[in-house]
Amino acid sequence: MHDPFPSRRTRRPGEAVFAVLMAALSAVLLVNAYGISGLGALSAPGSVPMAAAAVMLGAAFVIAWRTMRRPRAEGQTLHRDVLPGRILAITALLIAYAALLEPLGFLPTSALFLILSIRLLSRRGWGFASLVSVGSLVAIWLIFRIVFTVLMPSGLVPEAELIQALRDLTGAR
Amino acid sequence: METLAAMATVFAQPQLLLLVAVGTLSGIYVGAIPGLSVTMAVSILISFTFAWDVLPAISLMIGIYMGGVYGGGRTAILLNIPGAPSAIATAMDGYPMALRGEAGSAIGISTVMSFFGGLVGIAALALAAPVVSDVALSFQPRDYLLLALLGLLLVGSLSEGSMLKGVFAGAFGIVIGAVGMDPLTFTERFTFGLPDLRGGVSFVAVMIGLFGVSEALAQLHHVNKLAIKQAIGRIMPSWGTVRRHLPLSLQTSTIGVVIGALPGTGGDIAALMAYDHAKRVTKHPEHPFGEGAVEGLIAPETANNAAVGGAFVPMMTLGIPGDAITAIMIGALFIHGLNPGPMLMIDRPDMFWFIVGALLAANVFMLVFGLTGIRIFTKIVEMPRAVLIPLILLLSIVGAFAVNNSVTEVYWMLGFGVLGYFMKLYSWPLGPIVLGVILSRLLDENWRRAVITERESIWGLLESTLTSPLSLILLIAVLATILSQTPVWRKARARLRPRARRP
Repeated sequence: MHDPFPSRRTRRPGEAVFAVLMAALSAVLLVNAYGISGLGALSAPGSVPMAAAAVMLGAAFVIAWRTMRRPRAEGQTLHRDVLPGRILAITALLIAYAALLEPLGFLPTSALFLILSIRLLSRRGWGFASLVSVGSLVAIWLIFRIVFTVLMPSGLVPEAELIQALRDLTGAR
Repeated sequence: METLAAMATVFAQPQLLLLVAVGTLSGIYVGAIPGLSVTMAVSILISFTFAWDVLPAISLMIGIYMGGVYGGGRTAILLNIPGAPSAIATAMDGYPMALRGEAGSAIGISTVMSFFGGLVGIAALALAAPVVSDVALSFQPRDYLLLALLGLLLVGSLSEGSMLKGVFAGAFGIVIGAVGMDPLTFTERFTFGLPDLRGGVSFVAVMIGLFGVSEALAQLHHVNKLAIKQAIGRIMPSWGTVRRHLPLSLQTSTIGVVIGALPGTGGDIAALMAYDHAKRVTKHPEHPFGEGAVEGLIAPETANNAAVGGAFVPMMTLGIPGDAITAIMIGALFIHGLNPGPMLMIDRPDMFWFIVGALLAANVFMLVFGLTGIRIFTKIVEMPRAVLIPLILLLSIVGAFAVNNSVTEVYWMLGFGVLGYFMKLYSWPLGPIVLGVILSRLLDENWRRAVITERESIWGLLESTLTSPLSLILLIAVLATILSQTPVWRKARARLRPRARRP
């Protein structure tokens, strides 16, 4: 039969688990949506959320069912094709970033993050990674702190004093 | 007179003009770097402009949008990698031209034609929007409900691959949009008892996670891939070339505007339809289509830029997004206290005309930047991903943090980033989620208002829908869209026009 959107005939590692997880998420949301206002009036605050969660559950159920019936993709492994070490490492660095942002401050945390991730991804030396990181971090900081006036946690670095010194230097107010 | 003054605002204030220029320039580069999408750029940038006044913020975003749509065509020509979906058709003849050693003239002609298409789109926006919003003023809650449904049916075109996965994603978006205090009764929804959730999940954090972080993570799979280089020759097209193709570009621009204005179809479909049209009307191309025909380059490039103006019509007058980027633009306007919809034209006509002016300025900058600096451009596009990806991730974090100056948003962003990564990997579409979040409130509030008006009676709602001409038209549009997305219709169309199929 002609299929206008030919879908993949095989399932990738972890795909079925993901589909089941999505179905489980939908079920939790549906129960929660029922808890908002029950099956009362059509105009109740819970009616649209309940309908949306029910659609999610129905769709996820069918997707999970179809996914599980497909044969496994040959030659693909969870480690190589779904979650390579790089992606796990970068995700871990991101979580560490969020945790360290407030205690350490924006500049030290970002410098650490950039140096480690560029070193990891580029397979070049520490010198290259540090140089590129510090250079781009200075540019980013100047743009966002001064042009966009985004306030990031300053932490260990006395940013306010730094900016004041910069202003004194350039003679700006 | 006031209209003209509002339109000229952007040209009269050097600061605003500069922002449009910066936006357009960065849009061109972001759109051109494979793996960096315009959607990503706009989502990350919105958060940085929170603290700004509305005019500078809009100037920057419009520049990025316009530049990005054009920039996607660059890499399509040079590397055969469309930088954006709307550039898919550009690659079909643009890349063969580059292979023939005509990369420079291909970029030149696509720039001039994008400019032309952009102008047609803006003109159409200026003419059509006031009329559409006049009609929209008489809309009842049930009409808005139907409009929201019509917008949601966009999932059909946003979900390449599996329709069912698109439906799931759209419904998920509605749920995300409903988190927090219900605005009508102050009931808590999906807060799981957490005080942090009462204000809802930040739209910006969701967006940066889905389009910034997940994309960057996905790009890690091929971090060490090298780019192919192309020689650049003469860039400026001759006046004769431009004039010869003017009739065709006018036709394809019109296609672009109309397709762009329809909810559910954006620049990508407009470009493909224009390409198909050019193929049918060009009797004797210098080179056959698919082997580097100039006509095959002009058609998609005019159409996708004309579609920008077209897409702004439903966005500004009805508050219905045409694609993922306009959905984000609506979110941005909300954040800046503007309410896209028919009332915008009445409350803030100056804002509408300002946007028209900004689009015009962005279009001019696109022409200027498009014809200059191409050699530097090829260098930047070749920036190693090992450096680029960490920088994108850092910008995403800064963007999410800036929403509320709190780490909570950063964690939300990371959560949606990881979720989006897996969705991408297993081909679940992400676009419908944003669409759902944007339309969630419109759908929810108007459904409840409409039902309350009819005293909780579904039959009453149906009856009033069928007896009001406006509601009836909208209902027919909804039903027709549903029908057009069923396999029956697709099969019939494929049989009638086999050439119109997507590559």
